Order: sequence, then C-alpha cells, then structure tokens
Amino acid sequence: MCDPERAAGGAGRSAGPAVVGGGPVTPQQWLARGAKWVVLALFLAVTFLPLLWLVISSFKTNLELLTNAFSLPAVWQLGNYANAIRVAGLPRLFVNSLIVSSLSMALNLVFCSMAGFVLAREWFRGRELVLNLIVAGVLVPVIALMVPYFRLITVTGLYDSLFGLALTYAAINVPVSVFLLHGFMRGVPRELEEAAVIDGCGFAGRYARIMVPLSQVGLVTAGTFVFLFSWNEFIYALLLTSSVAARTLQLGIRFFVSQFFTDYTSMFAAITLAIIPSILVYVLLHERIIRGLTAGAVKG
Amino acid sequence: MGNRSHRGGIILFLTPVAVLYALFFLYPLGYVFTVSLVDWNGVTAMQFVGLKNYLELLQRSVFRLSVRNNLIWALSLGAGQVGLAVLVALILARRPAGWRLLRTIYFLPNVISQVALAMMWLAIYNAEYGILNAALELMGWGAYARNWLGEIDSALPAIILQQLLYIGYFMIIILAATLSISETFYEAAQIDGADVWQQERHITLPIIRPIVITAATLAMAFGLRHFEATFLMTNGGPANSTSVLGIMLYKTVSALNYGRANAVAVTLIVLGTLLIVAVRRLGREDRAAEERQ
Repeated sequence: MCDPERAAGGAGRSAGPAVVGGGPVTPQQWLARGAKWVVLALFLAVTFLPLLWLVISSFKTNLELLTNAFSLPAVWQLGNYANAIRVAGLPRLFVNSLIVSSLSMALNLVFCSMAGFVLAREWFRGRELVLNLIVAGVLVPVIALMVPYFRLITVTGLYDSLFGLALTYAAINVPVSVFLLHGFMRGVPRELEEAAVIDGCGFAGRYARIMVPLSQVGLVTAGTFVFLFSWNEFIYALLLTSSVAARTLQLGIRFFVSQFFTDYTSMFAAITLAIIPSILVYVLLHERIIRGLTAGAVKG
Repeated sequence: MGNRSHRGGIILFLTPVAVLYALFFLYPLGYVFTVSLVDWNGVTAMQFVGLKNYLELLQRSVFRLSVRNNLIWALSLGAGQVGLAVLVALILARRPAGWRLLRTIYFLPNVISQVALAMMWLAIYNAEYGILNAALELMGWGAYARNWLGEIDSALPAIILQQLLYIGYFMIIILAATLSISETFYEAAQIDGADVWQQERHITLPIIRPIVITAATLAMAFGLRHFEATFLMTNGGPANSTSVLGIMLYKTVSALNYGRANAVAVTLIVLGTLLIVAVRRLGREDRAAEERQ
C-alpha cells in the first residue's frame, strides 16, 4: 500500500491557500490564514497549558499555589516529589501496573496471533462468520458488563488478583487485536509460507517460524494498544480489586485526594509522575501508534 | 495451503480466543439481559420479576437524569468533538509548517489516562486554588469565578468540556482519510478556478463523509460509555446533575442490587445500538439523496 503522506508530493493542496489564483494575497486570504493559525494555536494551548501548569505547580509550596497561581516557584521544591513517592506508595503502584499491562499484552498477543494466523491463512467452513463475530465485539460497551465480569472473576477465584485483571484486559482487547493481526497477516506474501512447507515446516512451524517473525510490525502495533489500554484502564481495576497488593496506578490516583489531603502540590507531583510513563511510551512509539490508528481508518 | 487438512491445528489455535470471547462477550451479554429480569442480591435465590426492574428505573429521577446526560454527552462528542476534529484535520491536510509535529502533539493527551487528566482538571476547576478562577480574576472577569464542579449549572458542561477539547483521536483518523485523497482532484479544481472553500466543500467533505460518520458514531458510543472523569470529579453530583448510566450502574452494583444494575446495563446497550443504527441510516440516506441529484 502506498503511503498517503508521501504520495501527496508538492503539488496542489500542499502549496497552501495563498497560491490559489497566483496573484497578490487578498484581505480574505489574510483573514483565512490568520484564523487557521488561531485554531492551531488554540488547540496547542489546550493540549499544553494545563499540563504545564500542573508540572510547574508541582514544584511550588502550597502557599505559593494559593496566593500566586501564575508565578514560577521561588525555590523549586523537589521535596514534593519525595513526598509524592512516599505518601502515594508510587513504586508499588507502578510495579503492579507494569505486571498487569505486560501480562495482558503477552496473553492477548499469543492468543490473538494464533487466531489471526488461522483466520488469515486456513480455510474452513464458517471462517468469515467467526471473524466477523469476533471483530463485532468492538461494538459491545464493556462498561455495561460490570455484573457478569464481577461474578466471573469472583467465581473463578481471581477477585483482587493482578492475574484476574490481566486476563480481563487481554479478553476485552481480543476484537481489536484479532482485527489488526488478521489484517496484517493476510498481507504477508504466501510464497514465503509455501517455501517453508517445501522445506518441511508443518502447521505450527508456519505460524512460529514464518508468520510471527514476519508480523512483527503488526504485533508491535497491537501490543502497544493493549499495553496502553491496560495501563490506563480504571473501571475494572475499581470493580475487580480491593486490596493495596493488587492496586494499579490508575486506581491509586483515585486515592490521591484523600491521601494528600491539603498538600496539593505534592499531589500534583504524584499526578505528574503518573503521567510521565505514558508520555515516554508515546515519544518512543508515536509513529507506530498513529500508523496503527490510520491503518484501521483506511480499511474502514 | 488448503491442500492438506489441519483440522486439529485450526481448532487448537482458535480455542484460546474462542474461550475468552465466549466468557467475556457472549456469556456476559446473555447474562445481562437475563438477570435484568430477576430480583437478586447475589446471595439469596434469584426471583423472576419480569419487567419490574425496568418499570422501577423509569420512576427514578436519577435514571431519567442519567439518560438525559448520556444523550448530552453523546451529542456533544458526536457533533462538537468530531466537528472540531474535522476543522483541524482539514487545516493540517493542507500541510502548513510543522503539521506533522502538531498532529503528534494534538494526539498526546489521548495516551494519558482519563483518570490522570480528570485529576488535573479537578485542580484546574478547583474553587480554592484552581487556575481557571485565577485566570478569570487576572482578566478582570472575577465576577464569573465560581465553584465550577460544585454548582448544578456549570458542573456538567465543565466535565464535558475537558473531554471534548481533546480531539486527537478523531483528528488523526479524519486526517488520514483526507490525506489519502488524490491530489489530481485539487489540481483539476484549481485549474477550474475553485477557491479553497469550494475545494473543501465539493471535494474533501463528500469523500471523507463515511469516515466522519464512523468517527461520529464512535464519539457517541464513547459519550454513552463515559465514566472516569465524572466518577472522579463529581461522582454524579451535585444533586445527580452530572450522573450518567455508567455511574448509576456502578452505584447500583455496589448496592448489590444486581437485577436493577443489569436493567441499567441493558438500557446502555440498547441505547448504544439505537444510536449507531440511527447515525448509520442518516449517513446512508444522505448519500442516497446526493446520488439522486
């Protein structure tokens, strides 16, 4: 498939509105151009200013926060961060979230790559039906399934466990991952598999030696989505766990208000620390994430 | 590869996903509809009560408020958020300086958890130390300062706004569709003397309409599923004025009223399905009307 960004080249639209007509810029065009930049700047401000305020405030004293909202801190209070880590028990929350997210990602990728391989490469009666049924799962509002999920996890003895949460997250993401991986694996050239069969690869060998290595890009994309979903999920962490031992980061954030009480700026430090990993993942993988989203969009 | 049968392998490879799908999608959906017809606290025996749970819901003002608020959420996101996303996508599709960087930045809040963002906005709207009131006072509009999340008039708009402004997800999808339109259309239009507005109206918008409808459908679905920000910012208050079905469902589950909780859940599922069908039909009729012209 061609890359729409590159295919566009330098002609036509990309030249921008001012080129239309080729003559001098009219007042309307100046206005349109100004309005364009106002819109772009406005959304830049909406994206950045709240975060910037949060981070700067997290270095202030509480008195500074209450008396002068716009000033920079007189002394940058690094102690707020020490407070944040201690009071909120952040290390434990981070480790728990990391375990849940990695485990759910691993379970989801192993299971969905197996299913994606079979659905993309083997013919059997009812294959399209199975595929459509699974993918239609994205339309189910999982928030509505609170009672059955709670019963299911309780009955299986997985209540208040990191594994129960990871399994739930892996399952919720089955439709998205099967959609992405099936689509990706269908695009892997068949010749490679045929060559492998001649060399004596069986069914499992085709999956493990050919399809999985050649689908790395798809696996990274699907894996990123599952990981981010699990890292950010809140509702089922709230419903399916209760003890500190199984508390994830997002659930921990809920307790910040009561934990920090009137020490607002330490709370801001804790929120800042909770946001940093997501931003780091995004800085590293944003190309892949955006490409994954657009792949879904172009296919409809 | 179909020349030899791999029946055993196929079944083996599909089993894990099939089991997960059955346990976490098929069984729960059946369960929700069935248990919405009984009276049950999770301990004593279930008692079949027919539609009683639904009839009781209709009499509760918090249920009516929740449905109303969910519809407001769905419309705000479906029209407002997607509308803004279209606007920004059309601007970025003309590749102004730094458009790639802007695209990346606008999407950034979408990878941050809704919980963390809600905590941040809780601080922004705070009556005591919040930056919003401070900014209003700085600009001489101190009279407008208020306890944003504590007053019935402003609480719901305040929560919706903090989510509506994060357009990144829909902007990315719509921008991708816009960028994949062939340049030759625009070149031809320019030769014919069409200005930018005419190009967008007669080339871009008709072509990207299916993706915009998909985005609007998704946005409305998100509006119906909304939970986190409201749970953290107001927990449905003041006086249930910001309650949504998700919040009501959680409170009803916590009160161990499983029958009624599932009736709320069914309402959410049915409402979601109706909205999706309605938007799809609207899109199809639109297109049919255009083709007849």
